[in-house]
Amino acid sequence: MNIQVLYGTETGNAEMLAEDIAAELEAEHEVTATNLSDFDPADFDRGTLYLLVCSTYGDGELPASAQPFAEKMEAEQPDLTGVHFGIFGMGDSEYEETFNGGPATLAELMIARGATQLGERIAHDASGADMAEDLAFPWAEEIVGMASDALGQAA
Amino acid sequence: MTGQIAIIGAGPSGCFLAQALLKAQPDLRVDLIDRLPVPYGLVRYGVAADHQGTKAVTRQFARLFERQGARFFGNVGVGTAVTLDDLRGAYDAVVLAAGLSADRALGIPGGDLPGVHGAGKLTRALYEHPEAEALPELGPNPLIVGNGNVAIDLLRLLAKSPEEFDGSDLGAGPSDWLAGSGIEEITITGRSPAAAAKFDTVMIKELGKLTGVTIRVIGAGDSDDPEAQKKLAALTALEGGDGPRRITFRFGLTPLAVEGEGQAAAVRFDSAEGEEVLACTSVLTAIGFDTPGDLPRDALLQDEQDGGLAAGLYATGWFRRGPRGTIPDNRADAKALADRILGELTPDPAKPGAAILQGLDAITDYDGWCRIDSAETANPPPGRCRAKITTREAMLTLARQEDMQ
Ligand SMILES: Cc1cc2nc3c(=O)[nH]c(=O)nc-3n(C[C@H](O)[C@H](O)[C@H](O)COP(=O)(O)OP(=O)(O)OC[C@H]3O[C@@H](n4cnc5c(N)ncnc54)[C@H](O)[C@@H]3O)c2cc1C
Ligand SMILES: Cc1cc2nc3c(=O)[nH]c(=O)nc-3n(C[C@H](O)[C@H](O)[C@H](O)COP(=O)(O)O)c2cc1C
Repeated sequence: MNIQVLYGTETGNAEMLAEDIAAELEAEHEVTATNLSDFDPADFDRGTLYLLVCSTYGDGELPASAQPFAEKMEAEQPDLTGVHFGIFGMGDSEYEETFNGGPATLAELMIARGATQLGERIAHDASGADMAEDLAFPWAEEIVGMASDALGQAA
Repeated sequence: MTGQIAIIGAGPSGCFLAQALLKAQPDLRVDLIDRLPVPYGLVRYGVAADHQGTKAVTRQFARLFERQGARFFGNVGVGTAVTLDDLRGAYDAVVLAAGLSADRALGIPGGDLPGVHGAGKLTRALYEHPEAEALPELGPNPLIVGNGNVAIDLLRLLAKSPEEFDGSDLGAGPSDWLAGSGIEEITITGRSPAAAAKFDTVMIKELGKLTGVTIRVIGAGDSDDPEAQKKLAALTALEGGDGPRRITFRFGLTPLAVEGEGQAAAVRFDSAEGEEVLACTSVLTAIGFDTPGDLPRDALLQDEQDGGLAAGLYATGWFRRGPRGTIPDNRADAKALADRILGELTPDPAKPGAAILQGLDAITDYDGWCRIDSAETANPPPGRCRAKITTREAMLTLARQEDMQ
């Protein structure tokens, strides 16, 4: 399967996790990891599974590297019907009210353009006991499993 | 292309720079040199003990040493153990990422009275920096001058009750000191109106979780700017509570003098309504940071342009930009500088690199830090995630105990 891990980050934690996820899936799939700041919404491809990894900044907002993407989504209004994605959020429950706000916004942006979310949005808590990769690897496997049904064998 | 690069300072800006350099050019030799036996700068000794999530950024930095091949040379002060010129002679490029660790002085009459404490000095003591002074007596009514994030950190730490430090890495001594502080009222003052205050809204919202306090906000004013409105709304939402510790926010107060007979007892301010004197038992300044003096920063930065200082000499992070900006700001800075350095690097294979550090005493390396780290995290006391080793000697002993772990 073609998989693109897209990350939105500010201090690099989401980038590190995206690279780890890519490395984890690489043996069985074609995987790339790309910063959302380098990705154009016009390039979404229906035959690719998108794994989004995104942190939260400011007052529950998207991190810096996801902001140009959000602006382009707004400007270009691409039709993402038939695009499948899963989303893994990174945040910190010290920021109680805005916990994982960034990935929630990102998921909304995708869904508003017609994309289909696979599985639940997972929220990693930097103040919690879990390592991000311990949550993310099983999550990625699960989304990939769901995608092979959704994208069909052609993908 | 190979090449040898020395980075002075293993704080976030040095680590982010090394990361960006090695991502672009994995065969570079990148050496991080720090005056402390341990890496990570203010992530270890500045970022609040109760913000462990923010400190998780060190997991990326660990990877820098474990997988990307960067080397750590700890306990090497540049300007003391080795000179900057020696390093410039030994490496193809040298980068100053030494941060700013001295407190900016208040610069007003009475500013150096006993009882006036800089935020840097105080946080170093709270976080058990090996060169910290003893924790001072603050009395029942400390007054904070400044309202950036560091001031809010201080306020929150002083206002928390002991249970609210669960999960932190606050040491036993500092925990006892806070628990026994006897603080009744904390006044926090800012020069600008609330709308222009430097703290982030999230920092203010976090104060809303404090259980043992009653908060008053005096003269927050209003604003047309939507960002400032969020800040003001967060501030006013804080008002109230029924805890025993009182917190008062004041704005638009420019300090004119610290008053007191041999001990700070009040601060005289200028305000829109004229002069005002606020009594206190100690003054905590959180008004920025400066160079401690082992590196002549002003002279070095004279011709600074986008991080370049001279041929093969660069600066990044707080050392370059001044004491503003969070950890992510240093990352952006470091990424841009890495591109520049790689564009200009002309490797000279005859340069000795780290060989010039060989004669120095008691250098620690990354494995040494791992031994310190394991010792600190192996058996933390209840409610804590780490118990810091607090003296340089103990760190060096642990770092050199090769067969421990
Ligand atoms: C109290 C406080 C709380 C903060 N809290 C947060 C927060 O919660 N979140 C956030 O994003 N940011 C926070 N910041 C800001 C953040 O810490 C800085 O943006 C960041 O640490 C700057 O990185 P730096 O690498 O430039 O400097 P530093 O972190 O200061 O690192 C400099 C390093 O250089 C070393 N060094 C200094 N002089 C020499 C020398 N002569 N030779 C060799 N080595 C030397 C030092 O030992 C140190 O390890 C806080 C800052 C402070 C002061
Ligand atoms: C200044 C700052 C603001 C933050 N704001 C939030 C927030 O509002 N909500 C949240 O869930 N996490 C917040 N976080 C936590 C980050 O999302 C978390 O540390 C994450 O792991 C960072 O990932 P990154 O390195 O990929 O950017 C904030 C962190 C910082 C440093």
